[in-house]
Amino acid sequence: MNMNSSFGISASALTAQRLRMDVISSNIANAETTRASVVDGKAVPYRRKMVVLSPNESDFSSMLEAQMNGQSAGKGVKVAAIQEDQTPLKPVYNPTHPDADAQGYVYMPNVDIAKEMIDMISATRSYEANVTALNSSKAMITKALEIGR
Amino acid sequence: MDLLNSVSFQRLEGGLQAANARQRVIANNIANVDTPYFKRSEVSFESLLQQEINGSAPQLRGRVTDPRHFVIGPTNSVPDPVVTEDQSTAMNNNMNNVDIDREMSALADNQLQYNAYIQQMNDQIKMMRTAIEGR
Repeated sequence: MNMNSSFGISASALTAQRLRMDVISSNIANAETTRASVVDGKAVPYRRKMVVLSPNESDFSSMLEAQMNGQSAGKGVKVAAIQEDQTPLKPVYNPTHPDADAQGYVYMPNVDIAKEMIDMISATRSYEANVTALNSSKAMITKALEIGR
Repeated sequence: MDLLNSVSFQRLEGGLQAANARQRVIANNIANVDTPYFKRSEVSFESLLQQEINGSAPQLRGRVTDPRHFVIGPTNSVPDPVVTEDQSTAMNNNMNNVDIDREMSALADNQLQYNAYIQQMNDQIKMMRTAIEGR
């Protein structure tokens, strides 16, 4: 009897969606950043970052439980990695820009604001769904405490 | 003493456990709504219980004629909830098959069912209390 683990499952998803939202904010904030990091003494533009989600069941205890019972309810979700989008940067002709190359092109980040906005809506909706699930679990436990009263 | 150990009470208990397990499975499905290659799971209990009641569940059970006998086969008449993964479908481009609308309605359904089980349990306890107090 571990009803509380449904809290853990929803909480893991809330954490993951919040991190996803943080990464989206970072992408939007850095949509024009041409000096994000220094590689070989040269400033390189920001690259769009993406969150990689994976089921949170690779640890020993859940595998053991799954093998012994032949079934497992799962353990929620985790952020496996934050990866950079390797699509090419957008060249913009702007010779007066301090980061322009010899041909007068500035390489701008590969952030697409529209895409980020859509991701943001998706993250918000997922977050809300998990809050609903959490509230539902809470209501059930509260109800169970009233047995025999 | 068999005050609160009748078959119907045991079935209610099984139902509560199944609703608990189903809550966890649905929460996990919702948590993984954006996870690539994730497949949804579901819990079956009511249909198994129905089979058990109808006697159509194929299982071997040893007959107990003495309280000291070992129990062979399932120990009580209430089946355990079974979690199954739905591998057959894909909802999304990333092979995920969680349908959020379906999961949310299953969540609401499960919560109401849980409340109904608790209500029923409370009523049984109340009846027993009335019988004990004799008023």
